[in-house]
Amino acid sequence: MKTGTWLHDDFPVHVILAVLGLSLVGIIALISIGLSQPGAWYQHSYVKQILFLLIAVSLAYLVYRLPVSRIHKYAYTFYGLGLVGVTMPYFFHRVAGTHRWISLGGIQVQPSELAKVFLVIALARFLSDHKPENLKFREIILSMILVAIPVGIVANQPDLGTALILFAPLFPMLFWAGARPYHLFLFIAPLLSILTAFHTLSFSLWGILLLGIIYLSRPTLLAGVTVYFSNLFLGLLSPYFWGLLKPYQQERILTFLNPEKDPLGSAYQIIQSQTAIGSGGLFGKGFGQGTQTHLKFLPVQESDFILSVIGEELGFIVIAAVLITFAWLLIRILRTSYECRDRFVSLMAMGFSIIFLAHVFVNAAMTVGMIPVKGLPLPFISYGGSFLVTSYIMLGLILKSELKQLD
Amino acid sequence: MLKVENRVTRSQFQVLVLTYLVVIGALLLRYFSLQIYEHEKFKTQAEVNRIRAVPVKAPRGLIFDRSGRLLADNYPIYVLTVTPEQLTDLGALFQRIQAVAGIDSSLLSQNYQHYFQSKYLPVPLARDLSFSQLSALEENRYELPYIHYQKIPSRYYPSPVQLSHVLGYIKEIDQATLSAQLNQGHRYHPGDMIGWKGIEKAYEDYLKGEDGVQYFEVDAFGREVGQYRDRPGEAPAPGHDLFLTIDLDLQRTAERLMQGRAGALLVSDPGTGEILCAVSAPDYSPDLFTGTIREQEWEEVLSDSLKPLLNRLTNGQYPPGSTFKIISALLLLKDHLIDTTQVFHCSGSYHFGDRTFHCWNEYGHGTVNLPKAIIQSCNVYFFNAIQKADLNALAALAKEFGFGSPTGVDLPFESAGIIPTKEYLTAKFGRRGWSTGALLNLAIGQGEILVTPMQMIQFINLVATHGRTPSLHFNRQAHTHWVQGPQLPDSLWKQMETYLQAVVNHEHGTGKLFRSNSDSLWVGGKTGTAENPHGEPHAWFVGIARYHDISRTVVVLIENGGHGGEVAAPIARAIIQQAFTETNLFAER
Repeated sequence: MKTGTWLHDDFPVHVILAVLGLSLVGIIALISIGLSQPGAWYQHSYVKQILFLLIAVSLAYLVYRLPVSRIHKYAYTFYGLGLVGVTMPYFFHRVAGTHRWISLGGIQVQPSELAKVFLVIALARFLSDHKPENLKFREIILSMILVAIPVGIVANQPDLGTALILFAPLFPMLFWAGARPYHLFLFIAPLLSILTAFHTLSFSLWGILLLGIIYLSRPTLLAGVTVYFSNLFLGLLSPYFWGLLKPYQQERILTFLNPEKDPLGSAYQIIQSQTAIGSGGLFGKGFGQGTQTHLKFLPVQESDFILSVIGEELGFIVIAAVLITFAWLLIRILRTSYECRDRFVSLMAMGFSIIFLAHVFVNAAMTVGMIPVKGLPLPFISYGGSFLVTSYIMLGLILKSELKQLD
Repeated sequence: MLKVENRVTRSQFQVLVLTYLVVIGALLLRYFSLQIYEHEKFKTQAEVNRIRAVPVKAPRGLIFDRSGRLLADNYPIYVLTVTPEQLTDLGALFQRIQAVAGIDSSLLSQNYQHYFQSKYLPVPLARDLSFSQLSALEENRYELPYIHYQKIPSRYYPSPVQLSHVLGYIKEIDQATLSAQLNQGHRYHPGDMIGWKGIEKAYEDYLKGEDGVQYFEVDAFGREVGQYRDRPGEAPAPGHDLFLTIDLDLQRTAERLMQGRAGALLVSDPGTGEILCAVSAPDYSPDLFTGTIREQEWEEVLSDSLKPLLNRLTNGQYPPGSTFKIISALLLLKDHLIDTTQVFHCSGSYHFGDRTFHCWNEYGHGTVNLPKAIIQSCNVYFFNAIQKADLNALAALAKEFGFGSPTGVDLPFESAGIIPTKEYLTAKFGRRGWSTGALLNLAIGQGEILVTPMQMIQFINLVATHGRTPSLHFNRQAHTHWVQGPQLPDSLWKQMETYLQAVVNHEHGTGKLFRSNSDSLWVGGKTGTAENPHGEPHAWFVGIARYHDISRTVVVLIENGGHGGEVAAPIARAIIQQAFTETNLFAER
């Protein structure tokens, strides 16, 4: 520790620079949006975002200074507190028809954001307490229960987007921890059987694929046959069960899966967002020059659709820089997790990288219409305090894996 | 610390790196294809075909009476808007508009602040422009840049009746409602009108309709340059029309009868649950909330001590007075606590503990049995007889008649009223704070008990149908359910009917002013005179009229009106007579 006590000398400065660079791109986009907004400069969102950023960086530093042993020791306590947190909004008034937020002194806080942190820590603790060879069905089921509780609460708020994000680390972390891929596959297979069942060709292809995977995994004959036919059977039955539902129940399920569908809404948003990004070209229209942005064609452009502002004004150059920075950052996290000697820290950092990847994918893909509209922000870039703070806290914890010497 | 050693294999690491690369690589490809490969296409689209979606307001569904006569209609109004863009001196523009069209410039700037969304979007400044204002603005167009007009449908109520407490009104959507519906399909926009009270609120989803959309091309500065040709808009889908159970003619008579009074009047068909007329007096013109509200009219309505905005039908809560004796008598008879020959002596007052309870007839009714106690509405009889019963049994029977909870009629915000049980009284006054006196009071519908006129009509419908009536409603197409009252033997219901008939037809009956001219029209009823701390007693009358298989029930309440038999019964008679005039009677058969 040559450089004093407040930073370790192997501190990865370039990681910090990369992340702050991403935040800077976000703030530039917010300043541009502010150009055509009413109100004085200090009422604009970029001012708040800079304040949030200062808070987020300080919190990240505090978290970084926490000894790993503490985090490990209190992992389940944090998890319990996190569960209480996501239940809190039910005791407050609904905001915009959902129980997502609680308001603390006029500021709206979304506790499900912090649940991402607690859930990954708890899962890392649980999995690191078991050696790879001890990860059997029982352990897989237990980690599923660990994940299912917060996912269920958040999905009920309802916030399907965040629920999906909370679910995302489960299988990758199990895989990282050394669970047999075939076992994991057995859990995913029924879901695919149900989903493909509504489309004959997909279902046939799935049937062949299933057969191949089972054959390659060499289970006992009885087990293999059971798995194969119970999956086919489930798939064949699901259209029947779907037909048993009343039309309003079907409608309710479809609306739950795709809440933003409405005539003036998402289709129009996607067209406008694609037009914004496509018209930006290689170098963009220039800062403050995005007509799509400033003519208010784009809704929630500060948070969920910020990439279309960046794409329109700053062009593919900056979009590519952002995406490549994310790729570099996330793969670097994977590498340090791989090289890290502590199983708990490795799993934790890897889990957070999955959370980031899921956010990047859902947000960037939705903005250009690759997937249905789901309101999820882009890490480090989108406007919004709760998620910015959460992202930096996760970053602080990830940096633990960079340390050669763990306390 | 190093609790457990990390043992991730190289292949595990490689699988994940590959996954990450594929995911982000797919995104990169997609953005590359949009921004480089398809750039020209989107560039043209953004430059030339800037499309703006402008919602086209759907007209609200119309409201008709039961025979198709119009109660609520729409007419187009003009809204003045400004698109701020490069406009620098708003103040000067507002002053100019004030000078030309006489619209207060402070109102303009207030609306501007309130509705501003972006400097490229039109901001509404004033609504309901008159023709002379429109033409004055058009004449001075050259010095009023950036202003436009929008035509939107608006509500008005053309019928000769007020019916304001039933129809309710529509009002501009407020911020809380607006943000609450954001996740439910964005059906409303700032400035939209939404049902706020009455039928307009209860059937908001049905009446609203779906706004359409028109696509406009705008130039590089966001000015509309014309309708976008390649993409047809969607026409608005008007809201559904609503047919009410209200009979316009009957309603007109009812409003005339209640003019200058405070109270409520309801007529219904107990066989269907339909409400044929409904007055809450005093009321207000339903146009009070449409168009521009004149300050003075508002002040008058708000400062009126009789509270015209209070919907007495569903939210006025009063003691039911002697009309409640129907329930007390049914309890005494059904539980065989008394037989009709048993008599008590009425001297005009009754001493109980250290309190004296009075009969309305200060000279007393002499020797009284149950039929006489109902016909002449003797309190002292009930003070004596009810002591054989339990307070909670009486309260329970009242609840079986629907008191103490909303009737579920299709109007929003209905009050529940109060039926005092032992638990209720203990919670309110303490264990020693009340005595059997409360039972004596309840027996004659006084004390803590409070009911709404809507509950009263449901009550009398249950009596008229011997305990099972369709739920009350104003919408002819409403899905009704059965309201199940107390299950009593048919003989008991018939016995009560003969008493109610005698209340009206006996020479000493308190309800004789409800008597009918025609022998073929069966009538019965009960009067009520509800003492209250606010002056004169409230006058009640509940009645049933029957011609062959056609029944009508009526409830009249006159606040501080005096005796029910003298004040409320004649009004009930007049409206029932109208309900059974030949046209009405035989048109329905």
